[in-house]
Amino acid sequence: MVNRVVLNNQIHRDVRIAATRPTRENAEVNAVSVIPREFPRLLAHYPIFFTKNMETGRFEPSALLGFQPQENLFFVDGRWDAAYVPLLIQRQPFSLITRRAEDSDGKPPSLDVALDLSQTVQSHDGERLFLEDGQPTKFLQGITSMLSALVAGAKETYSFTGRLAELSLIEPVQIDIEFVNGSETKLQGLYWIATAALKVLPAAQLAELRDREFLEWMYFQMASVAHVSALVLRKNRLLSGATPARP
Amino acid sequence: MSPAEPQPLRKILIVGGGTAGWITAGVLASRYPRRGEEGVSITLIESRQQPPIGVGEGTWPTIRATLKQIGVTETDFLRECDASFKQGSQFVKWVDGGDADAYYHPFTLPAGHEDRNFAPYWLEDPRGQSFADSMCFQTDVCRHALAPKQITTPEFTGLANYAYHLDAGKFGPFLQKHCVEKLGVGHRYDEIVRVESRDTGDISHLVTKSGEVLTADLFIDCSGFSSLLIGKHFAVPFLPKKDVLFIDKAWAVQIPYPTDDDAINSTTMATAQSAGWVWDIGLTTRRGVGYVFSSGHISDEGALEELKNYLGARGNLSRELSFRKIDINSGYRQEFWTRNCVAVGLSAGFLEPLEASAIVMIELSAKSIANLLPSCSGGMRQAARIFNDTFRYRWERIVDFLKLHYVLSRRTDSRFWIDNRARESIPNSLREGLQFWGGHCPWHDDFAHREEVFSSASYQYILYGMGFQTYPAPWLLNDHDRNLAREKMSETAQYAKLLTASLPGNRDLLSKVRRYGFQKI
Repeated sequence: MVNRVVLNNQIHRDVRIAATRPTRENAEVNAVSVIPREFPRLLAHYPIFFTKNMETGRFEPSALLGFQPQENLFFVDGRWDAAYVPLLIQRQPFSLITRRAEDSDGKPPSLDVALDLSQTVQSHDGERLFLEDGQPTKFLQGITSMLSALVAGAKETYSFTGRLAELSLIEPVQIDIEFVNGSETKLQGLYWIATAALKVLPAAQLAELRDREFLEWMYFQMASVAHVSALVLRKNRLLSGATPARP
Repeated sequence: MSPAEPQPLRKILIVGGGTAGWITAGVLASRYPRRGEEGVSITLIESRQQPPIGVGEGTWPTIRATLKQIGVTETDFLRECDASFKQGSQFVKWVDGGDADAYYHPFTLPAGHEDRNFAPYWLEDPRGQSFADSMCFQTDVCRHALAPKQITTPEFTGLANYAYHLDAGKFGPFLQKHCVEKLGVGHRYDEIVRVESRDTGDISHLVTKSGEVLTADLFIDCSGFSSLLIGKHFAVPFLPKKDVLFIDKAWAVQIPYPTDDDAINSTTMATAQSAGWVWDIGLTTRRGVGYVFSSGHISDEGALEELKNYLGARGNLSRELSFRKIDINSGYRQEFWTRNCVAVGLSAGFLEPLEASAIVMIELSAKSIANLLPSCSGGMRQAARIFNDTFRYRWERIVDFLKLHYVLSRRTDSRFWIDNRARESIPNSLREGLQFWGGHCPWHDDFAHREEVFSSASYQYILYGMGFQTYPAPWLLNDHDRNLAREKMSETAQYAKLLTASLPGNRDLLSKVRRYGFQKI
């Protein structure tokens, strides 16, 4: 059970967070929601697609990590096997809790940094959260800026994908994969940029996409699809290591 | 004098702006997009009046294709018409009036119905389950007031077949905005004071109260019960159907939800009374409830009393409710398309609201006009003949299908139900059908038309929901289909389990649609 408590520099003065993260429980997912500001760094490793948020039906970009539920091919022998870890996983076990709802005059809700105590991340040799004088450590400052980036990123994400959907620039894609051992999988529920629609997009709308940075984000998504084959390769390596070669 | 030169048919005038007028305008204008002087021009004229007080109206799943064709989004439609999802009808106390007497007519076809008739195999071994429960997963979805889809399901598609309940008072204005702003339909508020004819008998133009002269090549009469063109001008006879369908009056009322999170029913609930039945339709903002009754079998006051009892039994009776009386004149015109005028909606005909045939008939009419639209006046006569044949057939079939619900009842507690089974009140075509179905389960081929308003699936749901017995000859059955039928039944049960575990409540999903909307894909 998740047990989130708001951070407090008195109560949590001596808490330390394990240096080796993410932990298995945070890493065992086959996709993770990402934000456009991460795209340049994600592009080095991960295929990015759009998926629908189960709660809202809205499109959001996700990095694909594996082919089965809970299969993360980037998490190897208890360690993350890529130079960049998506923010949503990196920030664990921290999150933001809303202190009060959004004001009617449009002031954003105020947020507190919270720690999930249910996660086994406290250790003796880990990172401290607060200095002796109660000020946040560099580590905690880093976490806080990650969390604010995610909040800002969610807003950007939905204006980005909302506009793409309006312009019919997102389309569903089904990817059929055959692995080295002959097993097959169909990736469903994934969407990508509708390149045919993009090619005939009127200039005014193209300019709008460019001015809002959406155009480069779209190209990052399109380019990232090449990583699907790298992901298959990771899986094939696992499969051929795990099963004896066939005669 | 030489015969008149054929005139190109390019100008359409729709008279009347209710649900019928705007659906017709939307279907025609989306089908024949405006192209300046080159294309078809469509204008709608209506008199300025208060929109009808919405009591909640039911539709058929065809409405989804119609709305998509017109070009509105499902999200805008649901939000602006207070619409909710309808997945069929539930009939309560129609069979024997007992406490356990209830059955569903769901919109999803019986499993495998596209190419195989499994009803005989359910009949020979129902295993204690109703026909609809055995052959259709949707009954369970309805029982739990669940939505037919999820927030991630693209617009206008569903995991179960569905239509909507909507507020007709908001639906017209919603379509109007789209038709005028997006589809280029011309629109004016005015009243028709005179109809002028040509020598041929065609309408040449209409004169309005403000003195405007409106010419057109085709006039579409959507003027409602006033039937300005088809009735008043052309005097096409009205064929009353009161001797078959006795209902001629209604009491209607709006019921607020007790709390904001009260469940919204997924079906139109139709509860039989002593001289008719009560409809109960859940919109997002309130319920629309009403008692349609036969004035030959109960007084207005008696009917109001029964409606109040219905509401009282559900804790919905309060002093603030205002009850409105409506007259129902069941029947239809002898013909619908005459000369250069075609009637759509109430001006063409109306039957009691059982099985919600009104809006689907408007959709079918609009689509048919769009499909038949002749390119010049010379084609008018043939288009009219096809249209009249098709729609006469459709109205007759609807009358049969509605009557079926009454004929199969075994209620003996009031004259209304007994009289409904009197032989002389049952159309021949229905009597012959029932005789046929005594030894043969309804199937696609039993009906002559490609687009039946009520298909063989609907007949199966009503017949077997009401305990009708078919005795198919054993030599017409076989083990292959028998096994297939069993497979379908167990798949149905599994799918029902899966869906009831994963579908959101009707209310939940509608609230989400308000916040987030559906995606197009």
